Amino acid sequence: MIAIVDYGMGNVYSVASALRYLGAKPILTADPELVAAAEHLILPGVGSFRNAMTAMRERGLDAAIHEAVESRGAKILGICLGMQLLGSSGSEGGDTAGLGLIPNSTNEFLKTESGLTLKIPHVGFDTVNINSSSGIFQNLPSEADFYFTHSYRMLVEGLSGKIGTCSYGVDFLAAFDAGSVCGAQFHPEKSQTNGLVMFNNFLQK
Amino acid sequence: MSRNFRLQKVGDIKWLLKNYDFSQLAFSIDELVVLDVSRANRDLDRFCETIKVLTEGCFVPISAGGGIRNVHEAKRILRSGADKVVLNTALHTDLDSVWDIAREFGRQCIIASVDINKGNKVWVENGTKALKTGAKEWIREVVEEFPVGELYLNSMERDGTGQGYLFDLLDLLPDKIDMPVIIAGGAGKYDHFVHGLNNADVDAVATAHLFNFIGNGLELARIGLLSEGILLPHWDSKLAAQLKGIYSSNKFISEKL
Repeated sequence: MIAIVDYGMGNVYSVASALRYLGAKPILTADPELVAAAEHLILPGVGSFRNAMTAMRERGLDAAIHEAVESRGAKILGICLGMQLLGSSGSEGGDTAGLGLIPNSTNEFLKTESGLTLKIPHVGFDTVNINSSSGIFQNLPSEADFYFTHSYRMLVEGLSGKIGTCSYGVDFLAAFDAGSVCGAQFHPEKSQTNGLVMFNNFLQK
Repeated sequence: MSRNFRLQKVGDIKWLLKNYDFSQLAFSIDELVVLDVSRANRDLDRFCETIKVLTEGCFVPISAGGGIRNVHEAKRILRSGADKVVLNTALHTDLDSVWDIAREFGRQCIIASVDINKGNKVWVENGTKALKTGAKEWIREVVEEFPVGELYLNSMERDGTGQGYLFDLLDLLPDKIDMPVIIAGGAGKYDHFVHGLNNADVDAVATAHLFNFIGNGLELARIGLLSEGILLPHWDSKLAAQLKGIYSSNKFISEKL
């Protein structure tokens, strides 16, 4: 069962639309029992890290996700803020603990990075450099364009394995595949073919 | 479809999908803008249904607008599948609401649309009311003081004519502008896109001219622009068609591309 976690933040319909195009039949749910029982989970998200964690905790969705991924072997794909929530913490709205499924933290883009003045948020199609051709990255070119819109980002830090990075002032973590836990900072549902390829790869896990 | 202030009524969404291969078209564009230009009988429910229909099979950012004046209407639009809202008259008459929308959804969710006609006059309310503020000053206010993420600059006199963009409009921009600028009004052929995208002040070119939707004009335009070295994002449109239904039919793409 494929579940898109609908905790009230994020364009869940576009994600559902992309999965339906591929022929999948995802459910949209905020029910922790259904989330805990899913085989594939997609965690979208747009907005503040703090508000999102609060919304998920209020519904018991954080525990449900932990149960699904850590006890039942479910796979999870976090998108945009959803990817950030998989990490250890985020600074938007004040330091907030995340789901802790990967150790990376999320922080704001600095207006000046590496001597460049950046326009924040980082919006538009941009190129992701991918170091792998398996997992969620199968059948994608090593430089693939995806649609981004975000003011906060994760850095690679100690994360090893299959990762994609994008350069915006700093090389930040654009996507990763850590086996059952995957993430995309960009919006695969807004990234034409490349996004559809990635969704299909995730569903085949 | 054309916003041509001398409106061309062409039919509803079913007509559009039937007569234009929208799925093909959807893979030739970077973003979709849907504007409700009905005047007498604006129907938000019907418009939201239209957005939902368009969202299926369209995997790029979708911006929608037309008569949005408050945060409730914006929310409905965003819950129907749109990623951004296009605001025009609201910038003039309901600035408080614009701030509400920005606070709730973020300023990058808002595209500020400005319609300009002869004499550099700014028009609102579907081109029926002229602002006292001159275009240059209005644009400066919009991009520097209002919580918006992008500027959609439309030439009313060129809109629907197919005669090419009015690049003079770009002289109205402040010297330093912090957000993407989309030029609209007048695109009728491939060369217009080239001129637009080669202009340093232009970040995106928009077209609503039906002529551009016929056949595979946009697809060829995209291929042409890429071959001329214009930096557009890349994706494989043919592969997109192959992916349709792939999960349910259990096919695997095994060859490395």
